[in-house]
Amino acid sequence: MDSAMQNSNPTILNAADLPTRLRPASSRKSGTCKGVIFAFTNYSVADPSEFAIGPYASDESDDDNLIEEPIDEQEIYDLISTISDPEHPISLGALAVVSLPDIKITPTLHDVPGSLVRTATVLITPTITHCSLATVIGLGVRVRLEQSLPPRFRVDVRIKEGTHSTAEEVNKQLADKERVAAALENGTLMGVIAKMLETCQ
Amino acid sequence: MSALQTFLLVVDHDKEEAKQIAERIAQDVESKKTSLIEVVQSLGEYINDEDAILRGKAVSYLTAVIRALPPKFLSRQQIQVLTTFFSDRIEDGGAVAGLETLQKLDRFNKALAEEVAQAIFDHFQELQDRSQSQRFQVYQLLNELMINHRAALHEMGDHSLVGIVNLMTGEKDPRNLMLVFSILKVVMMEWDVSNHAENLFDAVYNYFPITFKPPPNDPYGITAQDLKDRLQDCISANSQFASHAIPSLLDKLDSTSPNVKKDALNALIACVKLYDPNTVSTYSITIWETLKFEILNAQEEFLSDLSLDVLSGIAQRLSEGITQISDQLPLAQYLRPITKECSEQLQEPQQKQAKPAQKILSSTSAASAASFTLIVQTVVAPLLTIYQEADGIAKQRALLETLTVLFDSAIQVFGEWTTRDPEPTIDNSLLEFKDQFSDIFGQALMGVIKEEGSFRISALKGFLRLSILRNYFQDNEIGLFVQYLDEILLKEESVGRDDLKKEAITALTEISKHKPRLILDITFPAFVATLPDSDDGSGSNYLATLESLAQISAEKDIFDTLVRRLLSKLNILLQKEQPGSVDYPRAILLTILYVMNQRKLDQDPNLDLYYDKIVVGLCRSATAAASGKAPNNILSDATVLDVLGKLCNLIVRSLPRNKQDEAAENIYTLFTSVDDFQPVPFAPSPSDNHRRTMIISTYLLASLPADCKILPYSTPNMSLLLSDITTRCVNESESATSLALVRHLALLINKFLPKTDLDLATATFDSLLPATIITDPLLTLTTDTIKTIFWISKALVLRLAPKTTQILTTLLALLSSTNPETSTTAARGFTILLRNDEVLSAPNGANIRLLSKQRVFTTLVPLISSRIREVNVSSGPDHIKPAQPDHIKPAHLTALSGILSTISPTLVMPELPTLLPLLLQSLDLQTADSEAVRAATLEILAVIIRDNGVGVVEECGHVQSLVTRLLKTAEHTPKTGAVNAPRLRVNAIKCLFLLAQTPSSDAPAVAKAGKLSPLLPVKNEVLRALRFVLDDPKRDVRKAAVDSRAAWFRGVDDAPEDQDD
Repeated sequence: MDSAMQNSNPTILNAADLPTRLRPASSRKSGTCKGVIFAFTNYSVADPSEFAIGPYASDESDDDNLIEEPIDEQEIYDLISTISDPEHPISLGALAVVSLPDIKITPTLHDVPGSLVRTATVLITPTITHCSLATVIGLGVRVRLEQSLPPRFRVDVRIKEGTHSTAEEVNKQLADKERVAAALENGTLMGVIAKMLETCQ
Repeated sequence: MSALQTFLLVVDHDKEEAKQIAERIAQDVESKKTSLIEVVQSLGEYINDEDAILRGKAVSYLTAVIRALPPKFLSRQQIQVLTTFFSDRIEDGGAVAGLETLQKLDRFNKALAEEVAQAIFDHFQELQDRSQSQRFQVYQLLNELMINHRAALHEMGDHSLVGIVNLMTGEKDPRNLMLVFSILKVVMMEWDVSNHAENLFDAVYNYFPITFKPPPNDPYGITAQDLKDRLQDCISANSQFASHAIPSLLDKLDSTSPNVKKDALNALIACVKLYDPNTVSTYSITIWETLKFEILNAQEEFLSDLSLDVLSGIAQRLSEGITQISDQLPLAQYLRPITKECSEQLQEPQQKQAKPAQKILSSTSAASAASFTLIVQTVVAPLLTIYQEADGIAKQRALLETLTVLFDSAIQVFGEWTTRDPEPTIDNSLLEFKDQFSDIFGQALMGVIKEEGSFRISALKGFLRLSILRNYFQDNEIGLFVQYLDEILLKEESVGRDDLKKEAITALTEISKHKPRLILDITFPAFVATLPDSDDGSGSNYLATLESLAQISAEKDIFDTLVRRLLSKLNILLQKEQPGSVDYPRAILLTILYVMNQRKLDQDPNLDLYYDKIVVGLCRSATAAASGKAPNNILSDATVLDVLGKLCNLIVRSLPRNKQDEAAENIYTLFTSVDDFQPVPFAPSPSDNHRRTMIISTYLLASLPADCKILPYSTPNMSLLLSDITTRCVNESESATSLALVRHLALLINKFLPKTDLDLATATFDSLLPATIITDPLLTLTTDTIKTIFWISKALVLRLAPKTTQILTTLLALLSSTNPETSTTAARGFTILLRNDEVLSAPNGANIRLLSKQRVFTTLVPLISSRIREVNVSSGPDHIKPAQPDHIKPAHLTALSGILSTISPTLVMPELPTLLPLLLQSLDLQTADSEAVRAATLEILAVIIRDNGVGVVEECGHVQSLVTRLLKTAEHTPKTGAVNAPRLRVNAIKCLFLLAQTPSSDAPAVAKAGKLSPLLPVKNEVLRALRFVLDDPKRDVRKAAVDSRAAWFRGVDDAPEDQDD
């Protein structure tokens, strides 16, 4: 970091307290904690190479394959919460710069009922109200989402109202396609953003 | 021509010849044909010559002669004369080497050493101008003097000190510096340096930081680290350097290069360790003031860690010899600003700066008992106050974690209950807060809202530290904690990922190592009491209880009690008329199996008891169940029998030989008399339940030693037994029994059949698959027959029986059967051949030859490859040959994937050019039943790519075709009817991800040579295709696609990335 840090001592959330998706397997059978011993609840002594049926047919039923799992807010949160802050080697999730309630997915074209086009809105909460890096963070979130969401998604990244002194200016920059495109041509800036995205899991 | 003249002529171009001349003269001197004086005199006209080179050669002549003389030949007087002669002409070449020879002699004395040293110091300027190899000679001479005549140099005092410094000033050659540093280190440590400390220090510090990079093929093999180490030894050699060294090193921390900072910190660590404690004390606070920025605003993790090492090093030095703690100690003065700073940062412990403050407290408090006491005295009380006033759980949690950091230090300083070292003499200052801690942590663990999982986990961890800290809590206080843990595990509903319960089990396990009695007295009864008498379907949570019990029963006493309690539970179940679901008895047996697996059974004093109760007792009960004489059918259940079998296997394996023999006699009778139970082999028509006992028999057979001679039905040979079992294998309808039977057969053939009787096994094979019927295109075999054939083959191939190759080709021929059923089933059988089996395994003493896998691979793969080519050609446009049936190619590909999935990728690599086209063809299969083959293929590809990078694919020229097929497999197109199951899509995308990952550093250099990435031509295609995969209905597929795209964005670049040095 060239200049001195703007916020050298932000509050950090515990990783275990961040919102996560519970795998259906563990939530379905609440109350039984199966670890090492009973990993296989339906104990079977059948030959593992049972060659009448393919090996995958047993543990993955056709029904499971057909259930759709639409993209939801948690999935978007998972995409961006592991981005690192440009100032600290800490994730945006842990710094509460992005949070689950501030992510919304809405149909873009309200007038066209069957349309699959969606808008993902992400509100960013800078750690301090005068953080000049808010634009960079917003840009990083934008780049990550544009790389990671399907073409039918529109990405809308904004600063949360009342959390930044120049929110309007920053929002204008983030919404302006041409300015975003120009920013992404800038090697130094892209370097910073690439470093932020390195930690994405 | 005189000897000298000849020498002068040849010395430049023929060293050997010159040496021989000198040796001849030396012999003459020795045999008194000539005298040393004459030799010296003969030099006369040359040593005053104006040409320095000629003078040097002349002196070398004398040196060479002396070197060739026997060590005791020269008299003291002669040595003296020669030393003076050489010293006078030290600036001439050869003199240094002569002196080096002389000083090794026994008669060389201290006075002469001084004379030589004086000569070197007087002529340092001339010597400095010489070439580096000649300078090396000078340093070597000095080094030898240092080793052999140190007293002489030491007595010269300042004179030698200044002399050496003058001599080495300006030295730049790494090899010379290595010597110089080691000479100087001696001076620094042993001389009185008070008059010249700064000079001496500057002489070495000029070289800091070392930025040396060894040239390629450096003959001396000196690394930068070697130089750094020696330089660091010098800097830290003498406390009198402190006033120069410490400020300079601290200055270096302003550098922008992390490497320089690293060297400076390492040097500081060395100084702190070696300077005397008073000196360290003088600079302790200055050092802290500078280093705190390195820790609080850490640039790099390793710099912060090194800084912490410096701080704890200082605390350790200042703690030396402390018996009484007081505020006036230098240690106390040093720690005061540190604890002040940390306390300030910890006012808001949930914020970022609190972490480094915790680290500082952690490393300084762990430094010594004194340091720990002082820190605890100042820090803990204020932390407790903040805790009481804290307004949020996040803050309280951070405080608990901070305290836990101190508890960890306490454990380092005072040890755990099980630690055997003597305790420190200073009392543990945490004792004063014992009741408070117990309250706070107990409250936090049990009092707050149950949803605050991570807060409670922090409390639990802290409480656990205190419970294992030596001589801290009383047993009843730990007991309270144990009760809390029991309550969490038994009474609380599970929340989310159940992290708290997992931690609770870990904590109980940990406590069981230190205080097994408490677990036995408190946890055990509580847990066992919740186990039901039977699983009546009321949803009792016995699985979780058994799981917890198993985990905490690693200690011997607890283990023994657990086994007894569980066995009596099981026996009650076995007596019941309505025992409910078999899941419960099976879970009990599994629990016993799990804990027995964790322990070394062969040293267990209760082994005999387990043998009687479990092996003998339960096997008898199983026979009773098989003949319908038991009150219930628990022991007729295949899964229960399977677990029981494993348990018997484990126990019998650990038994002494005589007991094993007893078990051997009973593998079929299962410890009953013939009247009660008829063994399965040769029984006319046993019932399903009856045949199922073969599951136990098979496990018992597996547990016996291979040289067991008293197997039933094995005399005169096993012929009848083998054919009986084979018939049963082919006709068995129940899958569990069938598996037991084929394993039984395989064990007999592989492990117990003597080499001389192998024909019996081959005969069995032939009886199922006569060579004649292979050629019959209408050959039809049942699934059970094919399975038996493959298991027999497995048994023979693993021991590399003489007919291995023939067997393998016969099996392969099965694939060309025109009957699709037979061909396809046989194709799947190939996974059986090499797959690790838990019964026919090395721990069970199976005969598994190391080269068997290689043999199967090298025999089958070329045959499969050529057969597929044949099929491809004949199905081509020009129908020269009759077309082959459609199933033949998929069958061969299936067989191939079966083999590949069971051998190690290292075997695969050399054959990759042959294999890759076959693997790609496997990906082209589109039928539903090809899913397994494609999945296996993707797994193999993933391993190949991960271990070798994209380079190997490129070498075979298949990048484009591989990428195209992977993308095709990643597609989700329900409309076109293509069948790519989610798992296939995920694995295909993972292969793409691995392709773009830069290969790990241990990959062969070819893989990362600095050329354009071979993936560049397909980059856009991949990114575009994956963009649509981002809309896959399955989350896992999308996740894989996101990661893969990111890797292609990042990893596949136009220009190779420059490696940072």
